[in-house]
Amino acid sequence: MAETATLWAPRSAWAGIAQAGQIGAAGPAGVTATLLDGFGLATLIAAPGGAPALSQAVEGRLGIALPATPKIVSGVSHDAIWSGPDQWLLRAATRDGFSGLLEALSAQAAVSDQSDARAAMRLSGPRVREVLAKGVMLDLHPAAFAVGDTALTSVAYIGVHLWRLADGPDGSVFEIMVARSMVGSFWSWFAASAAEFGCQVSIDRSTGRG
Amino acid sequence: MRITCPHCGARDAQEFSYLGAADLQRPEGMAASEAAMADYVYQRDNPAGVHRELWYHGAGCHAWLVVTRDTRSHAITAVEVAKARKAGAAA
Repeated sequence: MAETATLWAPRSAWAGIAQAGQIGAAGPAGVTATLLDGFGLATLIAAPGGAPALSQAVEGRLGIALPATPKIVSGVSHDAIWSGPDQWLLRAATRDGFSGLLEALSAQAAVSDQSDARAAMRLSGPRVREVLAKGVMLDLHPAAFAVGDTALTSVAYIGVHLWRLADGPDGSVFEIMVARSMVGSFWSWFAASAAEFGCQVSIDRSTGRG
Repeated sequence: MRITCPHCGARDAQEFSYLGAADLQRPEGMAASEAAMADYVYQRDNPAGVHRELWYHGAGCHAWLVVTRDTRSHAITAVEVAKARKAGAAA
């Protein structure tokens, strides 16, 4: 019934899990976490031998080529993130026109909209690598993990996808994405790990949802 | 133990699951004898030394790998993508 349908309201992956504010130690925050929301996200999987055609199609529309190695390539409004051999995540800053784009790309790839399936956050701050080192089994030192590198790995037995963006004023900037169903567990690991350094949490509501 | 995934680089073994011997050949089921099928299903070598085995990078790129490992020392001498090996065999 129509009345029933109106009761369904979009809900952020972070709703009821984390909120803006300071967690852990008081004083200057060692880590800054920005909870991301409102982005569009889809998996692209090329058929055997179909990766070049898919990459061309994406480049023609968005100006970014699909990386063949574990990298993130960013355009004006979209990112292509390697997520396995012949597989990518396509992220859009907003969901405007996203379904049309996916429709068009579905001629070249198996495309699946994952916009509501993942939770993501951006991490920075002078102590960010010390927090991540408590769970990430990879060496995230700038000498080993360059700007634009991405990795699929696990943190506290939770599958995560992380990548490094261009450095900010406090040094390295990472984004980390987890399955929405695991975000409560992930946040409990993160909040406990970041507490000793103090963590400033804010929310980036691109589409005004919370 | 660390396994150097051809896609992802060196990762802890915790990210992978083990399947078993990599080079088993399934007999043609309709023609093979019962003994040959029983061998294929149940009999495994347990070498003290070099072993080719399948590992699945479940916490990473989700690729199946063929790892050549010395079972005495865990020294890994080669890691290949199983898909590439299969494609090569078919060609």
